[in-house]
Amino acid sequence: MTTLDFIVIAAALAAIGVVIWYFFIASRGHAPMRHEH
Amino acid sequence: MSDTTHRESIRIPVTGMTCSACQARVQSALARQPGVDDASVNLMMESAAVTFDPAVTNPHALVSAVRNTGYGAELPAGDLSPLAEQEARDLSQREELRAMTRKALVSVAAGVLAMLLPMMLPMHTPALPFVLLALSATVMLWAGRHFYVHAWQALRHHSADMDTLIAAGTGAAFLYSLVATFAPGFFVAHGVAPNLYYEAVIVIIALVLTGNVFEARAKRSTSAALRALVELQPATARVVRGEAVVEVPVSSVIAGDVMLVRPGERIPVDGEVISGSSAVDESMLTGESLPVEKGAGDRVIGATVNRTGAFHYRATTLGADSTLARIVRLMRDAQSSRAPVQALADRVSEIFVPVVICLSIATFATWFVALHVGGASPGTATVRAFAAAVAVLIIACPCAMGLAVPTAVMVATGRGAASGILIKGGEALQRTGDVSTVVLDKTGTITEGAPAVSDVLLAPGARRGTDALLELVSSLEAQSAHPLADAIVRHAKAKGLAKQNIQSNEYLVGRGAIGTVDGVALVVGNAALMRDRGVSTAALDDRASALAHEGKTIVFVAADGALAGMLAIADPIRATSRTAIDRLRAMGLAVVMLTGDDQRTADAIASAAGVDRVVAGVLPEGKVAEIARLQREGAIVAMVGDGVNDAPALAQADIGIAMGGGSAIATEAADVVLMRSDLDAAVQSILLSRRTMRTMRQNLFWAFIYNVIGIPVAAGALYPAFGLLLSPVLASAAMAFSSVSVVANSLRLRRANLS
Repeated sequence: MTTLDFIVIAAALAAIGVVIWYFFIASRGHAPMRHEH
Repeated sequence: MSDTTHRESIRIPVTGMTCSACQARVQSALARQPGVDDASVNLMMESAAVTFDPAVTNPHALVSAVRNTGYGAELPAGDLSPLAEQEARDLSQREELRAMTRKALVSVAAGVLAMLLPMMLPMHTPALPFVLLALSATVMLWAGRHFYVHAWQALRHHSADMDTLIAAGTGAAFLYSLVATFAPGFFVAHGVAPNLYYEAVIVIIALVLTGNVFEARAKRSTSAALRALVELQPATARVVRGEAVVEVPVSSVIAGDVMLVRPGERIPVDGEVISGSSAVDESMLTGESLPVEKGAGDRVIGATVNRTGAFHYRATTLGADSTLARIVRLMRDAQSSRAPVQALADRVSEIFVPVVICLSIATFATWFVALHVGGASPGTATVRAFAAAVAVLIIACPCAMGLAVPTAVMVATGRGAASGILIKGGEALQRTGDVSTVVLDKTGTITEGAPAVSDVLLAPGARRGTDALLELVSSLEAQSAHPLADAIVRHAKAKGLAKQNIQSNEYLVGRGAIGTVDGVALVVGNAALMRDRGVSTAALDDRASALAHEGKTIVFVAADGALAGMLAIADPIRATSRTAIDRLRAMGLAVVMLTGDDQRTADAIASAAGVDRVVAGVLPEGKVAEIARLQREGAIVAMVGDGVNDAPALAQADIGIAMGGGSAIATEAADVVLMRSDLDAAVQSILLSRRTMRTMRQNLFWAFIYNVIGIPVAAGALYPAFGLLLSPVLASAAMAFSSVSVVANSLRLRRANLS
């Protein structure tokens, strides 16, 4: 594995982290639990 | 509910929703409004049903809450009848479909052009990338615009839906190609071929749009039954005004107007026949295939077709209260309701898109590293990894999941209505499918519900003949409202017997009547009443017992203290009851008959009808207790009744099925309303519900399995072993196919054979 590979992996992990943060953590209070019947 | 505060309900039309994630978003936006108790958004009907506290919020606030989520909403037009409302929705759906079809066709043409151009033009034509760029930008901005608008709106609200996936997939491909077009040197410098993905962008949008068009067309046919009902409404009526008959629009008919209907015409509104007679085809509303004879005093239903004769009738219920409007409203509410099985699909589709985006990123990184470590140049690795990542984005479609349940509910309720079975929504469908025990009311359900005198017997040595006896008894019973009394009076009237003077009368609940008619002291009633009054029935006991074993109800008559004779009253079993009950048992259901009759009569009817369990001698309250007892034993109970006096029992049962439909009480208390008085319709409703549940499970299974298989394949799971990889274009075709196949599976319910 070269440095390039590590950069790509780190970037991907960071991107996944952002996605999870944005849709599941930062959305709290913004999109609360859906209404259940 | 102990909460006594005032609540209001409103139905808000919502536009622009394309998948279940949109629906979830609008629903949660409404649910979190202060003062909202309940919000249910339906994607298929494009509407939100909201129950709210008018002291806290108002319809305007609700509409703007929806608009803030990025979807269109309007205050419902208050004075529209359900029929007009349905027509308006049809029109806008048709226009939407037309626009969508046009966009899909143009995109497909552009896609074909984009694929052919590079082959027809000489290699490395310098203008080619720019031509393709212009083509794809046009398709994206014009035909695919709503994908990006919705994706952006969703993103701003920290949510993502299927438009997000399409926007991200095509957007990434477009940006990549854009850089390759304007700065090919940048790629070349890093050892990457400046590949163009313009045609992939165009073809993906074209395929998704084509899928949407098929889906929208299929969705339209799921509500075809509702539309067919709306179209039944006649435009004009012939009203008798003084001497003349004038043709006026149906909307200007008022209650009490007298109307003329000729053979072959559609009956404009509900009413009651005044004069004339005819056979009326009510099949469109009741599913009853034979025309029904109508004469003076009979009720006719608007939108049914008059076949043989002309008649005059008086308008009764109109507009929103009419039978047709009530059926349409019931069906519309049913179709927009949610089945409990949907909850799973909802939860999955909510977290689905962000998870897919993560998977796509992981796919890119994995592929890149694997290829690079395997010796590929960074350029080749990037291109291949990029294609796989885009394919993952494109193939993952929560759409089929969102369609799995609502399309089945819509088709099934429509299919039911075509057979005169009105099912009140997804929950009712699901519970009807789970029923284990069917409780049948005897009178009016298993039997015709029209008792008639079958035998009149005189006691040995009686002084009066049968006619004289009947004359006395019918005079006494003429003032009673009891169905048996009614049967005696009708019998006497049919024989042309006169009425005598009544000197005194008294009616005893559950026993009979006593009184003096024409100077004769009469006691008319059951054996218990005779015993009380010291009248011996011994002379007729053998005959009475024999008749009771035939399922007939016995009424003894004593005149001046001595037994004079007896009447046997039969309520014949409906022709279809026996086979219907046999079918219920063949379906593995326990069948129980409830009746107020005595045990002997009940047993006789039960054995003739094929019922295995009988509970006799129950009063209306007793029916509720009996159903509750069955439920405690673990049975899921469907109660079938005529809805007239068993509304409490219908409500107690897990599923209330009201027969002979249309009465307001029945529609209120029951979960399933049968428009025809035929036990077989009850069987069909259970059968239809079971089929529907099966279809829903199939749909959910296919929608899930499609993603479970599709995503790994797109990510390249099969590549190491088989060298199999999905191109983004193939992925978009597969995605379109999955939604269409789910809708098509639901549409199969339309042809379900229920007999």
